[in-house]
Amino acid sequence: MKPLDPDLLTQARPARGYVILTAALGFITSGFILAQALLIAAVLAPVVSQGAGLSDVRTPLIALACVVVARATLAGAQTRFAHRAAVKVIITLREQILNHVLQLGPRWLSAPTESGTRASDTHTLVTRGLDDLRPYFVNYLPQLLLTATVTPVALAVVFGLDLTSGLIIFFTLPLVPIFMILVGTLTQNSSQRRLVVMSRLGAQVLDLLAGLGTLRAFGREIGPAARVKKLGDAYTASTMRTLRVAFLSGMVLELLTTLSVALVAVAMGLRLVYGNVGLEAALAVIVLAPEVYLPLRQVGQHFHASTNGIAAWQAAKNILDLPVPPAGTAMPPNLASTRIVVTDLTVVSTERGLAAPDNLSVTAAPGTITALRGASGSGKTTTVLALLGLLTPTSGDVTLVQGEKSYPLSQLDTTALWKDTVWLSQRAALPPASIAEILNVAQHSPERLTQAFSASGLDAVIADLPNGLNTTVGHGGLGLSVGQRQRVQLAQAFLSDAQLVILDEPTAHLDAGTESTVIATIRSLADSGRTVIVIAHRTSLLNVADTIADVTSRPHTQVNA
Amino acid sequence: MKRHNDLRRALRLLDISAFDVIKAVTAGVLALGSAIALGAVSAWLIARASQMPPVMMLSVATVGVRAFGVSRGLFRYLERLASHVVALKGMAALRTNLYDRLSRGNITAVARITRGDLVARVGSDVDAVGDVIVKAFIPALVAVVLSAASLLVVGLLYPPAALTLLFCMLLAGVLAPWLAQKAGRESEQQTAQARADISSLSHDLLTTPGPIVVSGAAPTMMTALEGHEQDLYRATDRNARLEGLSTAIFVFALVSSALLAALVAIPATAAGTLNPVTLTVVVLMPLAVFEIHQGLPAAALQLHTSSTAASRIMALLDAADENLNHDAVDPISQTGTRHLEAHNLTVGWPQKPVLSKVNVSVSPGETLAIVGPSGSGKSTLLMTLAGLIPPHFGTVTLDGGRIGPANQHDLAQHVAFIAEDAHVFDTTIFENLRAARGNLTHDEAYDALRQAGLSQWVEALPDGLETLLGPDGTTISGGERRRLLIARALCSSASILLLDEPAEHLDPHTADTLISDLMNSAANDKKRALVIATHRLTPIHSADTIIMLSQGRIDLTGTHDDLLLQSPTYQNALAAEGTIVQ
Repeated sequence: MKPLDPDLLTQARPARGYVILTAALGFITSGFILAQALLIAAVLAPVVSQGAGLSDVRTPLIALACVVVARATLAGAQTRFAHRAAVKVIITLREQILNHVLQLGPRWLSAPTESGTRASDTHTLVTRGLDDLRPYFVNYLPQLLLTATVTPVALAVVFGLDLTSGLIIFFTLPLVPIFMILVGTLTQNSSQRRLVVMSRLGAQVLDLLAGLGTLRAFGREIGPAARVKKLGDAYTASTMRTLRVAFLSGMVLELLTTLSVALVAVAMGLRLVYGNVGLEAALAVIVLAPEVYLPLRQVGQHFHASTNGIAAWQAAKNILDLPVPPAGTAMPPNLASTRIVVTDLTVVSTERGLAAPDNLSVTAAPGTITALRGASGSGKTTTVLALLGLLTPTSGDVTLVQGEKSYPLSQLDTTALWKDTVWLSQRAALPPASIAEILNVAQHSPERLTQAFSASGLDAVIADLPNGLNTTVGHGGLGLSVGQRQRVQLAQAFLSDAQLVILDEPTAHLDAGTESTVIATIRSLADSGRTVIVIAHRTSLLNVADTIADVTSRPHTQVNA
Repeated sequence: MKRHNDLRRALRLLDISAFDVIKAVTAGVLALGSAIALGAVSAWLIARASQMPPVMMLSVATVGVRAFGVSRGLFRYLERLASHVVALKGMAALRTNLYDRLSRGNITAVARITRGDLVARVGSDVDAVGDVIVKAFIPALVAVVLSAASLLVVGLLYPPAALTLLFCMLLAGVLAPWLAQKAGRESEQQTAQARADISSLSHDLLTTPGPIVVSGAAPTMMTALEGHEQDLYRATDRNARLEGLSTAIFVFALVSSALLAALVAIPATAAGTLNPVTLTVVVLMPLAVFEIHQGLPAAALQLHTSSTAASRIMALLDAADENLNHDAVDPISQTGTRHLEAHNLTVGWPQKPVLSKVNVSVSPGETLAIVGPSGSGKSTLLMTLAGLIPPHFGTVTLDGGRIGPANQHDLAQHVAFIAEDAHVFDTTIFENLRAARGNLTHDEAYDALRQAGLSQWVEALPDGLETLLGPDGTTISGGERRRLLIARALCSSASILLLDEPAEHLDPHTADTLISDLMNSAANDKKRALVIATHRLTPIHSADTIIMLSQGRIDLTGTHDDLLLQSPTYQNALAAEGTIVQ
């Protein structure tokens, strides 16, 4: 893990600007820190050694007052820009991740993982995970950059003031990382072992508490109380054993940096006695010496912020680095005169150990209804995804055939294909807008609207809504039931002029009366020349289909060559 | 203010020992005190050495400087350990107290909260309350002690310099942390809406990407997202100004402390009333003092975070402390046919009745299915029948005696409720089954697993009943988990089992098979009554009684055959589920 990944700077432009700005501010700050030390020495030395008064040191005092204001302003600006840059980087990365996963497609997102699905993992990353970048940018990164600016500049000045002190610092400085790495390596094995024990005990306590509702329902809640206490005590003891080792490297850091400062002071004092060094230089060195080590100590203090932030960036990078399957560029033929031919389509999900669909062949022609039927999990929705070019089949083809000419789907520009497609999906959420906006009512004639509303049963839904067509639905709006939502989507499909109509269980949540109207409308869509594909369970819908394809699945075990 | 009060109440549950706190604060004072002493003694050493005294005169100072150089790191290590001991012991005590009070308190408090919420309370919220010790209280106490000590030392050397130091301390130790806390709190409040919008929009994009790209809605949604991001940015930026101001004030106080000390002390030295060596100490020592205030802005923010967490914990405990109405229940008879009956029942959460005029009755040997869409009150009804929540109106009786939260513990032997999100413990299969009944034998366990359709599964496992299930049953499939919960219910001694959505989150085919298996096994077992709440009609056709809920009422009651003949609503609802293709 790099403390600052150059890829982060190329990926998120605001990060680059921020790093440059912080480095620049760091350089200026280091200048002021030097000035501060030299000015304090210049104020004190004449007073201590020559009995000078306030008016004799007026110039360095005024200069010091300027440094106070300048350092405060710089530090304030640094913090402000840090928060700003952090939120900009988070926003940029979130947008890039969302855009990228949309291109990776639904199949990638729906794959299961240890903690849910890739979609839920990505959601956690773009909402909570990326927030870890904030402490990284605000607390850790500036200090990291200061070790590259303040530390060397201050060290150079100490050398200039006094060679011995410079040498002490020069040789103790590298000891800090060396000892920290040494302690880290020596304790790594035992701390990992302890961490495992610790997290296991922690999980057991939470497990008992999480099961309290279940225990009480059986009237069995009294016994485990003693166990909660015992596990809690064991967890405390095991965590303390871990911390005793984990805090060692922090101690080494503190010990080396403070001791070095003390050694510099003692060496200075002893040489002053013999007049080997001047008071002003000595004062400047003892003010400056802690500043050399300060950024290093701060980096150690904010180490946690760095690991979480770097982990968040790594997770983002892992997604952004995934190659997007190449998109086709050829224009699709006019769908009104094109058959969609599926040949031996198989899609393997290694995560589920299933080939679904397995060897499916079906043709959907304009002017007909093609029904896909099969048990849940057999691959009906996956077939639709393949038809729309949203996933690459494991084997088999989807081809668009116009007359004698064949167009493999993989070579076509799917965006153009989608423009002539309307797809009613089981899971789609409504956008946050009014029903009128979702259905684009301004674009359609009143007659067509009335017809679509009655054909989908939406008229009854609208009559019940407080604001009718102007009711806002979706997130932040009125919650619609599944059945009501489905009618909105049906109306949307019926109002569309798209040639390819794909309906996933269009009558699933409808009463018998509405169902027959909807089925009649679907039939008339096909009769008017549209290419209709439905996923259907119910016989009433299957009865009006021209073609019925049975979608089946097969267990698939990975064969390693 | 209520939140700070909640934090105080929560802290009392940590059972903190004063001795442990004193140990941690002492170590902290010695650690940062060493740093201050190092600064002061170094300044004295340099100034005194410049007067070229005999080296002997400096030996105490040189030893002191070296000693402080070592002691700081050492005591800091001890302080970190000591403060973590306080926090960890406190968190363990808080968890024990939580378990204790939630297990003895009003059952409704536990029944009302989802398992995910409970885990958040006892997990991250308890951690946040414990963090206040390490990140806020101990640093603040150390800062107070050392601020006073530094003021005292400087005051003894030259009183006016103590005044300038006090001024700078108020800036760095009070104003800067206050501003930082204000910025953090306001930023949290002002970005909450934007964060929620971003979360729900990205959730839609991530869970239904296909329909979104095909319908061409992706660009519109990304634009909407950009709008919320702008809100987030503006609010963050507004508060970043305050954060910047807080940092600026801190740095100002730090550097100006030396300048102000020089301004007030130099005239005294020039006038001969202040020793030049003391002057050097008075001017340079403040530079080392402000490290004690550095952590205070973060401490102030932690106080805010911890208070919020404490409020959530105390709300849960307050609910558990609500009095049980012992007058509303009768003693549970030792003998009886175990006939459960609800009369003119209104159920719901406080102030929110969802279902009224409910009359049901069930005896061992019978099956009752309660169906209705989600939100129709199925779970609430089952919980009321199990005595987990009190009815709004009407009574539930077992063998004629009234039941409710006040006698739920005794009732649980006879009437058991199995929640949809019931917990699978991170232990063996056998121990999970034993959660229902302590004296369960291996044979009885195998029998229950067989009835739940898991005998082949458990026999195929190398460790059989002793197989470890992993945290929250994540090592088993959704179907196995559901069946295991059913097996556990069957292990209970209760003669009436109330199962809430036992097949939730399974695909329709698997769900229907599971529920019909359960109905069949119940039909063969004359000693038990089974009450199942479900939203699917297909698998429950064999139930003795089916109750359909709609619009806050019982819509229909009868057997499958009656309802199919008489009720068009039932016919449509059944048809709407479709024929599952086998």
